Amino acid sequence: MKPPESDHQLFERLRAGQEQAFVALYHRRQPALYRFALQMSGSPPIAEDITQEVFLALLRDECGYDPARGSVVAYLFGIARKLLLRQFERRRSDVPVDTGGAEEGRFAEPVDASDPLADLAARERVDALRRAVSSLPRRYREVVVLCDLEEVDYAEAAVALGCPIGTVRSRLHRARMMLAGKLRDERLRGASIPAWKAARCAI
Amino acid sequence: MNCEEYWNEMAGPEPAESFDAHLAACPACAARWAAGHPVAAGLRLLAAEMKHVSAPPRVEAHLLRAYRERYRQRVPPAREVHRWWAAAAAVLLVAGALWIGVRQPPPPPVAANSGLAAAAASEEEEMFVPLPNAAGSPQDDDVDLVRVELPRSAVTALGMPANDDSDAESVEAEVLVGPDGIARAVRFLN
Repeated sequence: MKPPESDHQLFERLRAGQEQAFVALYHRRQPALYRFALQMSGSPPIAEDITQEVFLALLRDECGYDPARGSVVAYLFGIARKLLLRQFERRRSDVPVDTGGAEEGRFAEPVDASDPLADLAARERVDALRRAVSSLPRRYREVVVLCDLEEVDYAEAAVALGCPIGTVRSRLHRARMMLAGKLRDERLRGASIPAWKAARCAI
Repeated sequence: MNCEEYWNEMAGPEPAESFDAHLAACPACAARWAAGHPVAAGLRLLAAEMKHVSAPPRVEAHLLRAYRERYRQRVPPAREVHRWWAAAAAVLLVAGALWIGVRQPPPPPVAANSGLAAAAASEEEEMFVPLPNAAGSPQDDDVDLVRVELPRSAVTALGMPANDDSDAESVEAEVLVGPDGIARAVRFLN
């Protein structure tokens, strides 16, 4: 069986005017790019625009893809990220719940090593995590979305984010600690609800 | 960097650049890091749930329009190669047909039959001259139009009036080539 064409091969062919290669690369990479833009912006219309603009930039060769500098995936995510940053600057739509320097000290290694998701059902886990991810500061959210949700490898994420691979790893670790802290807070808040409900029903 | 420094720096505002070096040298920290956090499992659940999410089809439709607009002028390589072969074959076949034609009375210029007729009619009312060797060829619409240069003698060999004012030794012509590679008709452009 013929192995699937690499992204680079598809890129070369689409640049030679072969539409099928463009369609194949789009179908292969579009979902992850769209989800990345969606998780980062929280807005389906913005995610749609970003996805479209990424591939238009690829068509126009605006950002000059260089295979020596990284893979096509890293290149595409890099464009998406730049477009998102531009979007955030324009619309000020990136409003993380926790911002500023205070967060840096707040999410130190948790003393409580128990699973912050232990009490939650699978559905609640996912919802709680989605909220927690969307409330992360941008630089932590982007690394979680890229590496944990879209399974982009660290080297490619480093190229896309324009930082060393060590920074990707440390941000990822730190982002997970922050998520654990947020989930623990939510669990503590959630624990009081059943008691309140029970009291209300007893009246 | 020792383990304590490593984890302290991890919690600091600036991530350590020597992260990889420490992890490579310290199995305990590597294991701790690799084990990850309990949230990692939850993130995998979230990722699995979002796997079906993708851009709406209108994005692809818009991009395809943009792609076609950008590459409209280009001919796909496979088609281009086919055209070169067709052009070479057309020159040979037209030359062969003309060689036969000089020994037969030239046919009057008429609109070529079947698919050729449609092609001829659409080309600004100029007539294609059917080539003698194409008489028995199947009639079909799937013909290629190939532009070639032919010697001036080809014009008169087909019973067409040659332009005596021209000094050119060759004339441009368009040849209709069938899917079997046989030239069906020719039209002189100058």
